[in-house]
Amino acid sequence: MKIKVKLYTILKKYAKGKMLENDTIILNKGTTMKGLAHSLNIQDNLGLIFLVNDFPKDKEYSLNEGEEVKIFSK
Amino acid sequence: MESTTHTQLYGYMGKLLRVDLTKQKVSFEEIKPEVLKEFIGGVGYGARLLYDELPAGINPLSPESKIVFATGPFTSYQVPGGGSIEICFKSPLTQGWGEARSGGDFGPDMKKTGYDFLVIEGKATEPVYLLIDDNRIEFKDASSLVGKTVSEKTRMIREELAEQDISIACIGIAGENLVNIASVMFGGRAAGRSGAGAVMGSKNLIAIAVKGSGKVKPVHSEKYKAALKEMRQVIKDSEVAAGFREFGTMGDMAGNDAAGDWPTKNWQANNWGKGQALYDHYEKHNFIKNEMCYKGCPIACGRIAQVKEGPFKTPQHAGAEYESLSAFTAFIFNENMDAAVHSSYLCNEYGIDTISTGAVIAFAMECFENGLISQEDAEGLDLTWGNADVLPLLIEKISKREGVGKLLADGVSKAAKKIGKNAQQFAIHCKGLEGAAHDPRSGKALAVTYGTANRGMCHIHPLEGMAYDSGKIDWGMIPYGVPDPNTLDRWDEKGKGKIVKILQDGLIMPDVLGVCKFFMYAGITLEHYAKLLSALTGWQLEGKDLVKIGERISNLQRLFNLREGFTKKDDDLPDRAKQRPLFGAYRDEDRCIIKDYEGMLREYYEARGWDEETGIPKKEKLLELGLQDK
Repeated sequence: MKIKVKLYTILKKYAKGKMLENDTIILNKGTTMKGLAHSLNIQDNLGLIFLVNDFPKDKEYSLNEGEEVKIFSK
Repeated sequence: MESTTHTQLYGYMGKLLRVDLTKQKVSFEEIKPEVLKEFIGGVGYGARLLYDELPAGINPLSPESKIVFATGPFTSYQVPGGGSIEICFKSPLTQGWGEARSGGDFGPDMKKTGYDFLVIEGKATEPVYLLIDDNRIEFKDASSLVGKTVSEKTRMIREELAEQDISIACIGIAGENLVNIASVMFGGRAAGRSGAGAVMGSKNLIAIAVKGSGKVKPVHSEKYKAALKEMRQVIKDSEVAAGFREFGTMGDMAGNDAAGDWPTKNWQANNWGKGQALYDHYEKHNFIKNEMCYKGCPIACGRIAQVKEGPFKTPQHAGAEYESLSAFTAFIFNENMDAAVHSSYLCNEYGIDTISTGAVIAFAMECFENGLISQEDAEGLDLTWGNADVLPLLIEKISKREGVGKLLADGVSKAAKKIGKNAQQFAIHCKGLEGAAHDPRSGKALAVTYGTANRGMCHIHPLEGMAYDSGKIDWGMIPYGVPDPNTLDRWDEKGKGKIVKILQDGLIMPDVLGVCKFFMYAGITLEHYAKLLSALTGWQLEGKDLVKIGERISNLQRLFNLREGFTKKDDDLPDRAKQRPLFGAYRDEDRCIIKDYEGMLREYYEARGWDEETGIPKKEKLLELGLQDK
């Protein structure tokens, strides 16, 4: 499935070389937020905050086709 | 804690300078090593000194009141984060424990004059400034400085002394006018919270200039150097430190907004959804470069900002940090970042706390909306939410106690009492100190830290709770009983009271040792500090000893507040900070609501060894901490 992903401040560097056009990424169906972070090699200790379509979601949330994800570090 | 025998006190200058402004006399006191071992320095030694010397109920703005400028053993250009000064006093804003910290060169330079602590008492008959140049101490006429901005005062003193690099602490016009939210300024950096500027102003003390040549000698030089080297490597390898350097504290704006950690519209919500856009404007149009607040800082999170043109045109200046710019955007529902940068600059020039000023303006806007402050009360000023145009004049009026500014100059709690009716529900504070730009609906540990922090709802001490829950930072405190934050949900309430107790006792130590707290964010731990302090002083300390010292100091500050009449009800949070946000992304998120604050507080009291009904430390706890005579 195709997901749009935006990374902010210190997380921006994790996007390099992993994104397709328009900040999209291809993931297996049912991938969780935690799985997405791992696939981007983002460290666990960065206090990650996830928004999906601008609403907060937990790291166990399973993504759906076409959703827009924003990941922030606290 | 064991101690090796040394006839000389290592790691300190060993002296306290006492200045009596009434008599214009100074005296010098040797510091007792046994007191230092228990209270170390900074807000620890300051607490001991003020608890012993200030009578209960004293008017903090009376000549009999005292204000302490305190360094710690790590206040030094050599130690990462050592460009630090702590000011301790009874707060005119809260009538309780008052402290304020600033980064910059003043702390290390004051220590080089030969004094670890500077105690100011009395009141000068005319405005003066104090010059401390090693052993030369002079009371200088400051009448020409009155009414000038902070940068003008700083420039004039340097010109008069022909010392372009001399370190200066000064008040602005807000301090001169005894505004209860006045700060003490160190160039563009502020010791902003709790009203230290008003205490200085009440003494007719306009500024202090310091310059010295003294040095502190470590007892074990090689071990000291090795400990410093290890700490510098931690900073060098830290992704958090690199983030602070690249983005400054402003880099947190979007993340905090997303996390529901951004109090918006006077705390009606914890999220606005505009944090990223505001940050983007700041980065593109206002940010000039980063800077070190003191010589040699390896993080250099400070910012130089400006507004190039337009109605809020502002020269390049130091400041424009996350807390200040959140206070002048989210707090007051203002989307104009140029106006926020300008407002932060004005506050620093007038010497008034940016956080409390933004908070009291947000309070005024909500009172205006609800008819509690009329257009006539506001002298025709339009206090509609988000009206950026009103900010410059309003900040000036508050700083000068003019018009509606007179109502707002002493903070939200006192303003609400003056207004009456239901204004108190819009006054967001704990113990009288206005809330900072973090929201406990982002993580429940922050609720307990806000409620129980000794100086009130501040932006420094509650950091440990906020970062633990929503940032998943363990602060190196797992060895002392704190669970791995990744094993807990940020919105869990059970267990947070106990966790906060341990975090507070450990995380008070940067303000005791004389270092910037951000270095613990970046991976420096109490074990690093214990190793460095042991090499410096010869005391044989471990991290757990520092936690115990932190507990002693936390309790002594608590006793200071209890003696001033504070009770358990002063540990409560404003209702709005516990409730469902009225708008924003967390509006339908039930977990962010604080359901059992009383339960968390009870757990905290139990962990602290305090009476669960009254919040008063039990006798056995005071005995354990060596505070039984307090």
